[in-house]
Amino acid sequence: MSLPCGTRNYTYADDMAIMRTRTHQVLFIVFLVLLFTAPYYLGNYWLGVVNLIGITLIAALGLNLLMGYCGQLSIGHAGFIAVGAYTTAVLTGRFELPFLVGLLGAGLMAGLVGLIFGLPSIRVKGFYLAITTIAAQIIIIWVINHWSLTGGFVGIKVPYASIGGLVFRSESSQFYLIMTIAALCTFCAKNLARTRVGRAFIAVRDNDLAAEVMGINLLYYKLLAFFIGCFLAGIAGALLAHWIGYMQTEQFSLTESILYVGMIIIGGLGTTLGPILGVVFIRLLQQVLATQIVPFLEETMTFLPSGFATGIGPMIFGLAIILFLIIEPRGMAHRWNLFKSAYHLWPFSY
Amino acid sequence: MAEFLQYVITGLAVGMVYSLIALGFVLVWKSSSVANLALGQIVLLSSWFTYGMLTQAGFPLWIALPLVILFALGLGWVIERFTLRPLIAQPILALITVTLGLGYFIEGIVHFVWPWSVAALPRIFPQSVVHIGPAVVSQEYLWVVGISLVVFIVLTLFFRYHRMGIAMRATADDQKAVQACGIPVTVVFSRSWMFACVVAAISGILISSIGGITYGLVETGLKAFSVVILGGLDSFGGAMLAGPIIGLAESVGGGYLTPVLWAGVKDIIPFIMIIIVMVIKPYGLFGEQRIERI
Repeated sequence: MSLPCGTRNYTYADDMAIMRTRTHQVLFIVFLVLLFTAPYYLGNYWLGVVNLIGITLIAALGLNLLMGYCGQLSIGHAGFIAVGAYTTAVLTGRFELPFLVGLLGAGLMAGLVGLIFGLPSIRVKGFYLAITTIAAQIIIIWVINHWSLTGGFVGIKVPYASIGGLVFRSESSQFYLIMTIAALCTFCAKNLARTRVGRAFIAVRDNDLAAEVMGINLLYYKLLAFFIGCFLAGIAGALLAHWIGYMQTEQFSLTESILYVGMIIIGGLGTTLGPILGVVFIRLLQQVLATQIVPFLEETMTFLPSGFATGIGPMIFGLAIILFLIIEPRGMAHRWNLFKSAYHLWPFSY
Repeated sequence: MAEFLQYVITGLAVGMVYSLIALGFVLVWKSSSVANLALGQIVLLSSWFTYGMLTQAGFPLWIALPLVILFALGLGWVIERFTLRPLIAQPILALITVTLGLGYFIEGIVHFVWPWSVAALPRIFPQSVVHIGPAVVSQEYLWVVGISLVVFIVLTLFFRYHRMGIAMRATADDQKAVQACGIPVTVVFSRSWMFACVVAAISGILISSIGGITYGLVETGLKAFSVVILGGLDSFGGAMLAGPIIGLAESVGGGYLTPVLWAGVKDIIPFIMIIIVMVIKPYGLFGEQRIERI
């Protein structure tokens, strides 16, 4: 579709290749090199931002599989991330198990909790499912806040991640850990969407009755989508826990869940590129808001009541979600594709 | 026994508040099949606006209340015109998420204009308590129950007999047929949002004159969803009946479960009810179950 001029697919392998031309491969390698040498040219502060983007990306990929491919709306994603974060906190902090056990345990636990709350998805969809996942979010956070095992309102300390004797203490070592897992997850998500499973998800999204008539087991695929989506959320939660080192439930509020939905809408539902663009856009915007715009406004607009600037973030993000839904419902990924086909054909636009 | 009666009466009174908020939801759903997830935030915004009129601007009650109603009408019109009308005939996912974004935006506005997190409205209703047997209930709650019933009756009659109400029911049934009959569907949508915002504003004033204005109002809005789910999305009667049921479950369950479980179990009972209803009877007590065709 958006192949460069003169490039044809003659074999099935060509058709299925992710990187079709030499330029693609070169650009991809350059991107990877640039990404993985980031600790050498980024300061500690920006490295932290990139780490947060990496973690958010993993969770957003999960939500994209669930919502963008399978069409199951989930407004409780932050809750599932919290399940992962607290599972690893309990496993590695309280029971002193190795990090890898905590990471996998976090994914599985979040996946299982996702399965439980995904069960109603067999009978209901749309608004009903949205409400169910909101309920899931609130119940999960409430349980975490009141269970003595999870530290309650006080919070819980999480040790640094370590594999073998290697301890990921500094920002740059954690960068490598997070980015490796994020790259791996992106690769898996991209490929999953092209397999039978991914195509079944898309069929369920487009019309679940029609999909069932065609022989797709709705129960299995809807629950599988919930499991995978929440598994990735759990992995992201575990990385977040080890990265921050201290967990409190305020980090997993309902507004955070809405922000996740916003990220994949802004990026573009049902594409692999979408979550990446959306996550980078929202997280960078948050940084710029927090470090530049808010202090500037607080200094210049002294006639407004103090503390007004806390409202600017939600206003901008809410507005962004609304505007993207109205003006460009296919998100930034679609714009990027338009741009790509434009420069492939330039200067003759036909 | 006295304890039980107290829980029951408190539960019923709180439940009526949920019912009132739920009515605003059902109103929009009945006419345009849009799920309004920004309900709690609209309640929050109109409560703060009332605070602005009554306390900050210092208007007397008889000027402030009509202003709040006007504000709610305007808010409903703006919301419908600028966020939902461009999305007519879009997939349901877009309609749900746009109200989520809207809720987020409204919360931002509230933070922006009123950065304090808590405020108290002047008490509108007399506060003396009423004794019902051994139980005690604040008179304010009785006013809330009364006003909820009045709103419910007005809405039911409106939908039954008024031209616009009938048009709203028809629109919910079949939009194309309604348009073919010469009823402007966009006006129907617009009106339903305006009325829904008025209902939300009324419930906002009632709740925050009792409990003060906090961000807990957003959560109260979320609890109202459990009422909607239990009662059925398109039934006023269902919302009126389900509200007290949820209120009772919250109050009685919270009262007797707190010693057994953790403190604060009261706050999540409505959400557990949502999950239970979803598994057993997803379309609620009186909801219409739509049969889909491919």
